[in-house]
Amino acid sequence: MSSAFTPEMWRSIFPEIGLLILAIVLLVFDLIWLKQPQMRARWLGWMTSIGIVLIMGISAGISMPQGQGSVEWGGMLRFDAAGFVFRMIFMSAAALTALFASQFEALKKRGEFYALLLISTLGMNLMASAADLILLFLAIETTSLPLYVMAGFLTRDDRSVEAGIKYFLFGAITSAVMLYGFSLIYGLTGTTQIYELRSAFQAGNLPVGLAELVIVLVLVGFGFKISAAPFHFWAPDVYSGAPTPVAGFLSTASKAAGFAVLLRVLQIAFAGQGSLWTVLIAVLATASMLIGNYLALAQRSIKRLLAYSSIAHAGYILIGVAADSELGTLSVIYYLIAYLVTNLAAFGIVNLIESRVGSDEISALAGLNRRSAGLGLAMLAALLSLGGIPPFAGFFAKLLVFAAAVERGLIWLVLVGVFNAVVGLYYYLNVLKVIYLHPPVEEKEVFPPTPAWRIALWVCLAGILLIGFWFAPWYSLAQAATSAIWIY
Amino acid sequence: MPMSYYLILSAAMFAIGVLGVILRRNPLVVFMSLELMFNAANLVFVAFSAYHQILDGDLFVFFVMTTAAAEVAVGLALMVAIFRAKRTIDLDEMSMLKG
Amino acid sequence: MIFGLHPLLLVTFLPLIGFFIILFLKAEQKNAIRWTALLTSLATFGVSLAMLALFDPARGDLQLVYRTSWLRVGGISIDFYLGVDGLSILLVMLTTFLTPIAILSTWSAVEERVKGFMAFFLLLETGMIGVFLALDLVLFYIFWEFTLVPMYFLIGVWGGERRVYAAVKFFLFTMFGSLLMLLAILVMGLQVGSFAWNDLLAQRQLFAQTQLWLFLAFALAFAIKVPMFPLHTWLPDAHVEAPTAGSVILAGVLLKMGGYGFLRFNLPLFPEASLQAAPYMAVLAVIGILYGAAVSLMQKDVKKLVAYSSVSHLGFVMLGIFALTQQGLAGGVLQMINHGLSTGALFLIVGMLYERRHTREMSAYGGIWKVMPILGALTLIVMLSSAGLPGLNGFVGEFTILLGAFGSQVLNSPYFAGAATIGVILAAVYLLVMFERVFLGPVRVEANLSLKDLNAREVITLVPLLVLIFWIGLYPAPFFNLINPSVERLVSLVQGAAMLAIH
Repeated sequence: MSSAFTPEMWRSIFPEIGLLILAIVLLVFDLIWLKQPQMRARWLGWMTSIGIVLIMGISAGISMPQGQGSVEWGGMLRFDAAGFVFRMIFMSAAALTALFASQFEALKKRGEFYALLLISTLGMNLMASAADLILLFLAIETTSLPLYVMAGFLTRDDRSVEAGIKYFLFGAITSAVMLYGFSLIYGLTGTTQIYELRSAFQAGNLPVGLAELVIVLVLVGFGFKISAAPFHFWAPDVYSGAPTPVAGFLSTASKAAGFAVLLRVLQIAFAGQGSLWTVLIAVLATASMLIGNYLALAQRSIKRLLAYSSIAHAGYILIGVAADSELGTLSVIYYLIAYLVTNLAAFGIVNLIESRVGSDEISALAGLNRRSAGLGLAMLAALLSLGGIPPFAGFFAKLLVFAAAVERGLIWLVLVGVFNAVVGLYYYLNVLKVIYLHPPVEEKEVFPPTPAWRIALWVCLAGILLIGFWFAPWYSLAQAATSAIWIY
Repeated sequence: MPMSYYLILSAAMFAIGVLGVILRRNPLVVFMSLELMFNAANLVFVAFSAYHQILDGDLFVFFVMTTAAAEVAVGLALMVAIFRAKRTIDLDEMSMLKG
Repeated sequence: MIFGLHPLLLVTFLPLIGFFIILFLKAEQKNAIRWTALLTSLATFGVSLAMLALFDPARGDLQLVYRTSWLRVGGISIDFYLGVDGLSILLVMLTTFLTPIAILSTWSAVEERVKGFMAFFLLLETGMIGVFLALDLVLFYIFWEFTLVPMYFLIGVWGGERRVYAAVKFFLFTMFGSLLMLLAILVMGLQVGSFAWNDLLAQRQLFAQTQLWLFLAFALAFAIKVPMFPLHTWLPDAHVEAPTAGSVILAGVLLKMGGYGFLRFNLPLFPEASLQAAPYMAVLAVIGILYGAAVSLMQKDVKKLVAYSSVSHLGFVMLGIFALTQQGLAGGVLQMINHGLSTGALFLIVGMLYERRHTREMSAYGGIWKVMPILGALTLIVMLSSAGLPGLNGFVGEFTILLGAFGSQVLNSPYFAGAATIGVILAAVYLLVMFERVFLGPVRVEANLSLKDLNAREVITLVPLLVLIFWIGLYPAPFFNLINPSVERLVSLVQGAAMLAIH
C-alpha cells in the first residue's frame, strides 16, 4: 500500500470533512452564545442547514466522481456515483431536519443536537460509500450512536428517554447479530473487502448452508436500519417517543442509509447468491407491507400511524430490491428520494401541530384546513404522495418499483403491493378526512411557524410536486447511481 | 487446536448472548449479554485472522471493542436518565409507549 | 393550432389556468370565483368546439395527435401523448358542455367554501378531459387517478349527511380496480417496450397469451367505474351524498370513463378475450338493467331513484358495447352521451327541488306542477327522454343498442335484447310513477304552496340540455357520423380476431 496521499483521496471524503468541521464550528458557537439562548435558537438551525447546503454545493462542484469511480483509502472507500447520490440524499434530509427542528422548543437551542445530527449524517455518508466491512461497521455505528442519543434527547420527557432506550437496545442487538455475520464472512473468505467478496462467494467452494446463514445474519442488521418487518418493533415506539424532527430524520435518512448498504452489499458481495436473497427480500417486503399497513389502520396517534406507514413503505421499496435488476435498483433510489421529501413534509407538519395543540392524536388535526388552508393543502399533498396518487412524487416511485418487479416476473409480489396500496390509501384518507371533513376542535387558530420551518416545508412541497412530474433530473441521478452499482 | 473448537465456543457465546438479551429484564444484564454477542464475533475474527494469516480480522476486533465501549456509554447514559424519572430500570416497566 | 397551442393541450389544460387564478383569489370574493370558474369552463367549451371544427369525421383514426417524449424508464419511453377519434370526441364535448352547466347550477346551492369547490371542479375537468384524450397508458392512468381526488373532496366536503362514508367508499372502490389495471399496464408496456396505445395495438400478439388476465384487470377497473352489476354498490351512496353539481358530473362524465375504457382499451387490445367474455359481460349488463330498474321502482327518495336508474341505463351501454356489432357499439357511445344529458338534467331538477324544500322524499311533494309549471314541463321532457320516448334522444340510443344486441352473432341469442326491452318498460314505469308522485295530483303539503318557480339562471342551465335532447332525438345523423368511422374500425378489428378464432 502506498502511503502517499493523492488529491483523489481527499476529494472522496470531502463532504465528511466538511460535516465534521461544521459540527465543530457549531459546538464552538454553542459555547460563544452560552448565555444567549435566543441567539442559539435563532441561528444554530440556519447555520447547520446553510452549512450543509454549502457542503453539498461544493462537493457537487469538486468531488463529483466520474465514470465507474475508484477505490480510495486503501480499499476502504468506494468513490462512485452511487455514494455521491446517497450522500446528497442524506445531507438534504439533514439540512431539512435542521430547519424543521427550529420549530421544536427543546431542540432549537441545543448546539449539541445539531452536532449529533451532523455526525450521524457523516456516518450515513460513509455507509453509502464503504467498500470494506470494517468501515461499514464503523459507519453504521457512527450513524446509530448519535441517533440513539437524539431519540432520547429530551431527558425530562420519559417518553423520549424510553424511545432512546428502546432504539438503543434494538440497534445494539441487531448490530451485534450483523457483526457476527461479518465475522463469519471474514472467516469464510479471508477478506473484508466488499468488492472482493463477490468473487470469493462465487467460487462456490463454501460449506453448504453457511453462506445462507451469513446472509440471514447480515439482513437482520440491515432490516433493523430500514425498519422492515420482522425487525420493526422499535419503529412505532421510537417514532412516537422521539422528538418529531428526529422521527422524521429516522424515517427518511436513516432508512435511506440502510437501503444504500443493502443495495451495495447484496448486489455486489452476494451477487452470486441472488436466487437466495431475492426470496428472502420478497418475504421481508411482503411481511413489512402487511404488518405496516394493517397495524396502521388501528392507530390513533399520527406519529404511530406514520411509523407503521414507514414500515409499509420499507416493504414497497424492498420490492425494488427483490427485483434484483438495474430498474429495481433505480426504482429503490427514486423511491427513497420521493419518500424523503414526502415524509419530511408530513413529520414537519405534525411537528408544528404538536407544538401548538400539544397532542399527536389524529383528532388534533381536525379541521386543519380551516385553521390554515395552506397547511391543509400541504398535508394533502404529503398524504396523497404517500398513498401513491398522481401527480405527486409517491405515484411515480411506486410505478417504478412495481415496474421493476413486473419486469422480473414477480407478479405476485406486485399484487401484494397493489392490495396493500389500497389499504394504505384507506388510512391516509382517514387522516385527510379528519383534516378536511371534521369540524375544527377550536375555531380559527393561527399557526405562526418560524421562517426556517416555512422554508423547509416549501422545499419539501416543491420536491413532492417536481419529483411527481418533472422526472428527468431525479431520474438521471438515480440512473447514475444505479449504473455505478451495476457496473460490476 | 482445530478451528471448529473456536467456532463452537463462539457460537455458544453468541447463543448465550442472544438468550440473555431476549430473556433477561435487567438492562445491565442485557448489556453484558450484548457484550457477549460482540465478543463472540471478535473471537471468530481473531481465530480466522490467525488461520488466514491476514491481519484484517485483528484490526476489526480493535474497532469493535472501541465501538462496543461507546455503545455501552450511550446506553448507560440513557439508563441514568430513565432511572432519574422512574426510579427503576426494569425493562418491563417501560410501557409508556404502547398502542 | 389555436393561439399557437395545440388544441388538445389547450382543451385539457385550460381549466387548470382557471384553477390557478382561483387559487389567487380571496375566499371572500365568492362571485369573482364563480365567474372565473364559469368563464374558464365556457372558454374550454369554446376550445372544444374549435377542436370539433378541426376534427375530420370521415376518418376513423386518431386525429390532432400531440406526442412528445416525457420520460424514459429503462429504455421504454413514456410519452405525453394525446389524440382524439370518434370514440372520444363526443365524450370530450360532453365534458366541456356539462361542466359550465354544473358550475352554473351551484350558483346559489354552494355558499360555503366556494373557492375550494370551484378549484376542485376545474381540476376535475382537466382530469376528465385528460382521460378521454390520453393515448399513452401511463398518462391515461395518471389522469384516471387524478379525477379521484377532486371528486373525493366534492362529495366529502359539500355532500349530504353520510358524505364521508360515501366519499371514502367511492375512492377505495375505484382505487382498488385501477391499481390492478396499473399492474396490467406495466405488464403490457414492459413486454412491448412502449406504453403508447397504438404501439401496443400493433404488437398485440406479444401479450396475446395472457390477454384474458389483462382483459380482466382492465375490465375490473372499468366495470367498477361504469358501474356494472355487482360492482355498483358505491354508486347510489356517492350519488345520494354528492352535491348536485357533483352528481351531474359523476353521472354525466365520470361513469362514462368506464364505458370509454372498454371501447378504447379492452376491445381493441384484447379482442379474443373480449369475444370470449362478451356473453358474460352481456349477462351482467342485462342483470344490471333489470336490477337497476327494479330497485328504482322501490325508491322513495328521488335522488336514489335517479341513481339506480343510472345503473340500469349504463347496463344498456354495456350491452351495446359487448354486442360487438356496429350498431351496438355506435348505440353504446351515443347512449353514453344521452345518459349524460338526461340523467344530468334529472339530477339538476332534483337539485332544484332540494334547494327549495330540503328533502328528497317523494312523499313530501305532489302537485308541484301547479306551483312550478315551468319546472314541471321541463321535467316531463327530461323524464320522457330518460324513459326512451321516440322523438327524444333516449329512444335513439336504446333502440340502436337493442337492434345491435338482437343482431349480434357474438351473443347469438334474442334473449339479451328481449330482457333488455323489459328494462325499457320498467324504466317508463318508475319514471312515470316518480313524475306522478312529485308533479301531478293536488298539492298535499302546505309548504309546497309557496314554492317559487324556476328563475332565469335555472332555466338557462336546463335549456341547453333540452336542446340537445331534442336534437339527438329528431336528427341523430350528425352524431352518428362522428361516431361511425371509428366504430367501424373497432368492429372490423374485433371481427378479424373472431374470424381467426373460428378458423
